[in-house]
Amino acid sequence: MRSSSQTTEPWRVGVLFSQSGFMAVIEETQLRGTLTAIDEVNAAGGINGRPIEPVIYDPGSESRAFGRLAKKLMVDDGVSTIFGCYTSSSRRAVLPVVERLNGLLWYPTLYEGFEFSPNVIYTGAAPNQNSVELCRLLMEMYGRRFFFIGSDYVYPRESNRIMGELVRASGGEVVGERYLRLNAERSEFSPLLREVKDAQPDVIFSTVVGQSTVFLYQTYHDFGFDPKVTPIASLTTTEAEIQAMGHDVGEGHVTAAPYFQGLGGTRNSSFVQLYKKRYGEDQSTNMCLEAAYFQVHLFAKTLEQTNSLDTEVLRTSALGVELDAPQGKVAVNPVCGHTDLWTRIGRANRQGQFDIVYESPSRVRADPYLIGYARSLAFA
Amino acid sequence: MHDRNQPSPARRGAIAADAPRSPSPAARAPQPARTGPAFPFADVSIAVVCERDAHGDDLVRELQRLRAKPHHVWPPPPQLPLGFDAVFCVLIDDLPRRVPWLPGEPESALVVLLPRHAPFRPDLMRDCAAHGALVLPADPLSVQCTLALARDHFRYEKRLRGRIDKLDENLRNMRSVERAKTIIMHRNSVSEDEAYQLLRRQAMSRRVSIGAVANAIVDSQELLG
Repeated sequence: MRSSSQTTEPWRVGVLFSQSGFMAVIEETQLRGTLTAIDEVNAAGGINGRPIEPVIYDPGSESRAFGRLAKKLMVDDGVSTIFGCYTSSSRRAVLPVVERLNGLLWYPTLYEGFEFSPNVIYTGAAPNQNSVELCRLLMEMYGRRFFFIGSDYVYPRESNRIMGELVRASGGEVVGERYLRLNAERSEFSPLLREVKDAQPDVIFSTVVGQSTVFLYQTYHDFGFDPKVTPIASLTTTEAEIQAMGHDVGEGHVTAAPYFQGLGGTRNSSFVQLYKKRYGEDQSTNMCLEAAYFQVHLFAKTLEQTNSLDTEVLRTSALGVELDAPQGKVAVNPVCGHTDLWTRIGRANRQGQFDIVYESPSRVRADPYLIGYARSLAFA
Repeated sequence: MHDRNQPSPARRGAIAADAPRSPSPAARAPQPARTGPAFPFADVSIAVVCERDAHGDDLVRELQRLRAKPHHVWPPPPQLPLGFDAVFCVLIDDLPRRVPWLPGEPESALVVLLPRHAPFRPDLMRDCAAHGALVLPADPLSVQCTLALARDHFRYEKRLRGRIDKLDENLRNMRSVERAKTIIMHRNSVSEDEAYQLLRRQAMSRRVSIGAVANAIVDSQELLG
């Protein structure tokens, strides 16, 4: 129905990332990653002679707007493929729309797992691709007492459940667990960190996202904690947040991610160069941006074969596709529609980049339901 | 004359209570059901958004004959009315925008109306996420079949969504039960089976689900640290 014959008409796709509101700090970089890849594909002649044309809306960090705009994209703009979403709440708002109208959402963000929609390709990390190794390493390097801080929505609560079980299963202890509203102000972090100080944890595990991330790390800094002794460990703090909080504030803190700008390799160097040329020398890449970038190339590689945007055809063909991404070779896992990614743990340095302290020997199979792990963990 | 009666407000409860008593209309013999012993569409509230011409009037009259509660609306409001069991609406160009719910989360069965000789527009119908279509003028049998199937599909979709929600909840509960078992095994130094029996006994004596007991244990464990 929407396949092409001999035509140079563009392939229209939808793009949904917040450019305003409290999630813009990270979603803006995902938008940039998406556009960088689209321009790269178009500069090389498009896909089978046809350029990709993005239809872009700004949901303004509001979950309901994601659902509304997904409908607008599919209904008014006639688009069936959408790149977008950071928070799990926004993904869940888009889900019924793409499932009913049979669209395909490409979701470039780590999330809590335990989901499998036939209308989504997941390209961010599932818990088995970041939390498991992060927990082991933190225990080894810093100690057994964990304090959990998160933004109050789906992802942090679910990740903390999984992390909590990991910690306890390895003989550790969760000495505190606190949630702040999603767009918490700076002043809300002081009482929280006083509480942390009293609890004396070895590690602060943070799933705070968006603008509040900056306030957490800055307040930590003001309180005079030492990241060498009690670092903040995170699955969500990337180069983008480190840049926003200040390199000195971020130094010494730990993040698990499939990708850091500081990785070597020629594929990554050319990606970083391309990005800096577009957006400025002082701009860093990050894991969410990288996933947003490589998923467009996965899409392009698939579309080149199918020459059709029909969701059924496109998704079936995307399963199993392998790609040389900036993080290394990745592949869409045909069993679960998630992506097999690399596990890495980095520690922020004075330059606002991450030094790699752990890297998986090969890419790690996505296991969103943690089926290959101990039962107590799978049901954590 | 058709819109003198105020629309009945959402009566999901009443409809749900009706359903088990009368057999599914779809399962009936293909004769006009209104001659049968029951009126399968009795008290079904239906917003009918179409011009008040002869065909529109016929449709409303037919629905009244079926003992349904049609409510005539014209011109089309910017947002289709909520709170009806079904909405019949002319397939206008911007109908998808006037549908007040997200596709995949419908709140009423939606039937689009088309004049005879209208072009076939599958994309427009899909974008409305309609449950049925009716070509006007419609004969009585078509009205009944379309209404029956549209309501059937709508309610089936709702049951499926409910099942998925339930599955998600069960998955969460299973995770809690596993965690609670681990906690009990550690604290009381008992086997997995004994831990589960303890959970079961607690649930029975408190008359709550095992999941609820498990959640309570997991939560208290988190509070105690």
